[in-house]
Amino acid sequence: MAAFDRHIRDVLEFSESLRRTGRDCKQLVYPEAPDVLRSTLPISVGPGANPGIILRGDTFVELGNPTAGSCSSLLWSDDPSLIRDGRITLLGPDIPESGGASLPFAQVLMLAGERLLPMDHERLQQAHIVGDQIEGYMVRSAAENIWSRVGKNAAQRGFNFEMLGKALLSLVKCDVKGVTAMEILFVTTSKQDVKDLSEVVYSAKEIASEILKETWKERGYDVDCQFDCASCHDEEVCDEIRDVLVTIKREARTSDAAAGSEPSNPIKAELNS
Amino acid sequence: MDVQAVKTQSLARYKEERDWFALLAEAAKQMPTSEGELQVKLLEILLDSKQTVVDCVENDKPFIGGYFCNAPELFHAMDLPWFMLMETPFLAASAPYLLNDIEGAEEMGMGTDLCTAIRLPIYYIENGLMPVPTALLGLLYPCDGAPMLHQVIEHNKVWKDVPIYACDPPYTSDERAVQYFAEELSRMVEFLEKHTGKTLDVDRLKQVCEESNRTYSLWQDYNELRRSVPSPHGWAIGGAQAFAISQCFVAGDPRCSAWFEQLCKCAEERVAAGKGASDQEGWKEKIRLFWFDIMPYGWIFEYMPWLESEWGATIVMDMFGNFPYTLIDTSSRETMLHDLAKRNLLDAPMIRQARGTAENFSNDIRRIVTDYKIDCVIWPGHMGHKDGSATIGIMRDTCRELGVPFLHIGLDLFDKRYTSIDEVKDKTSDFFRGMGLA
Repeated sequence: MAAFDRHIRDVLEFSESLRRTGRDCKQLVYPEAPDVLRSTLPISVGPGANPGIILRGDTFVELGNPTAGSCSSLLWSDDPSLIRDGRITLLGPDIPESGGASLPFAQVLMLAGERLLPMDHERLQQAHIVGDQIEGYMVRSAAENIWSRVGKNAAQRGFNFEMLGKALLSLVKCDVKGVTAMEILFVTTSKQDVKDLSEVVYSAKEIASEILKETWKERGYDVDCQFDCASCHDEEVCDEIRDVLVTIKREARTSDAAAGSEPSNPIKAELNS
Repeated sequence: MDVQAVKTQSLARYKEERDWFALLAEAAKQMPTSEGELQVKLLEILLDSKQTVVDCVENDKPFIGGYFCNAPELFHAMDLPWFMLMETPFLAASAPYLLNDIEGAEEMGMGTDLCTAIRLPIYYIENGLMPVPTALLGLLYPCDGAPMLHQVIEHNKVWKDVPIYACDPPYTSDERAVQYFAEELSRMVEFLEKHTGKTLDVDRLKQVCEESNRTYSLWQDYNELRRSVPSPHGWAIGGAQAFAISQCFVAGDPRCSAWFEQLCKCAEERVAAGKGASDQEGWKEKIRLFWFDIMPYGWIFEYMPWLESEWGATIVMDMFGNFPYTLIDTSSRETMLHDLAKRNLLDAPMIRQARGTAENFSNDIRRIVTDYKIDCVIWPGHMGHKDGSATIGIMRDTCRELGVPFLHIGLDLFDKRYTSIDEVKDKTSDFFRGMGLA
């Protein structure tokens, strides 16, 4: 499945080009198993780990506010050699040094597994909806992009992109069947860098739509069907039933009036056409 | 009926509807709660809007008929009063005359399979019960039923000369489509300027869009609060009102942002106190529900309180309370029209689902179920939402994958005779019991 291979290469090249132009860059590699990764984290990861919501007053840093810049993408391939398993790349300032700030934020999750197929696409996309699974981290419920908050309590415990990356690696590798390798890119340098990255991954959304359409079609749901009353063999029957109903209602009104009782509808239906 | 007769009759009906809301506002004033105050504020904005239209009709000032998905920020920036053609079913479905009007629509020969929200305005136009605007904005989306309203208008003696413009919605949802729709909005502005004498000032539009961004940011803040367990509000406050305030009256007005600020404050207080949607003594939230459609406005008071009290079921999210929006880039006229186009073509409720691609149904379910800790999804199956009915299988399969029960009922959100309320309650109860949610 090579649909997103070009995008993965472009994202990695984009990341490398930013690094070469002198942006702050931090790279770490954690190819360990999910449970090992999880055991090294000072925060809880898994369902219910962040049971409440993080209010504005409890926020240490905000990531991806639309006015600051935001981009989120999930790309996948059946060729694990395209990515480096467990690599977390951060371009730009980290969380601990950004207290009170609203940082531009791009997050690209790159997944790979030899057995991944187009029919897995929708399931894979679900992977970036973390919900309540990372303690001290809340991703706002938005249909596009990513807008999240890191709580003050988590920040006190050293919450940074390395921890966020490890948490995401552990969650995805543990929960999403077929994923054998995963790499993450975080960008917080500037609104322009985030915008440039979103242009790199833009066409992936259109490809994703086509994949979904095809996979639903394979499951028996044709989302492009052409069918309406005019193409239905029973149109005449429906029209006749409608005429009968109108006649019945009008006759009921006439007999009500003849019997001297109040009509059920006080407004006389006089057509103005 | 001639123009004068329609003017008199429609004004009488419009005032009747206004007075119905005034009565509701009086009732809300008797509620000594923060939520009661919110209702009052919302109704005051609504009443003000209605009164402005009354003033326009009485004094021959320009005003337009349109829809929430015609970028109402533009109307506000142009200082152009407007009303929604489907106002009664959307906003006044609790009015006592609704069932009589539906009966009247049936007597005209309109099929009972045509969406009631479309049948009603047709009935009002044909019977001289809707104020005739200076200019009209049509709706060619989200469904094929909506343009029927234009066909009626074309043949109506009084309405046929009202200038009409309808933005052409492209089928796709990519950047090219958004750009195309932005150009359609630009032409819509030219049309409105020509026929109403009002003009669009870019600085004023920027001001309105910035305020609209503030409103929408607060709405998103509020929705985050609904993720709390228990959810601070249910069907009665938050979802439908948030939509109405942001899109149906004066989009981009500071009063709308102020309303959301208070809404957030109310919800924050409830979250801090661990309070759920109901203040009934001993009440507990047992089922977190995603109602994936418009609220059943025609019989909302007979069903929603029952859900809460009988089953402890809270409507945590619904189609109109959902927040898929992005903010408007106010750096130029072009960026504002582009982002308004995106909002009104791709994001606005019902448009997003019915015009949009089927993946919106599955994607929204996936996100909402996870983020809002939803226990079950109800697709009411409104008789007019045939587009959505075509995706029931997709929705059901998506819910199955997520391990969340899914119910499709089949009803009319405005006409309680279509499927009786008792039957809806029976189906809901069987579903809750059968799925072990009770």
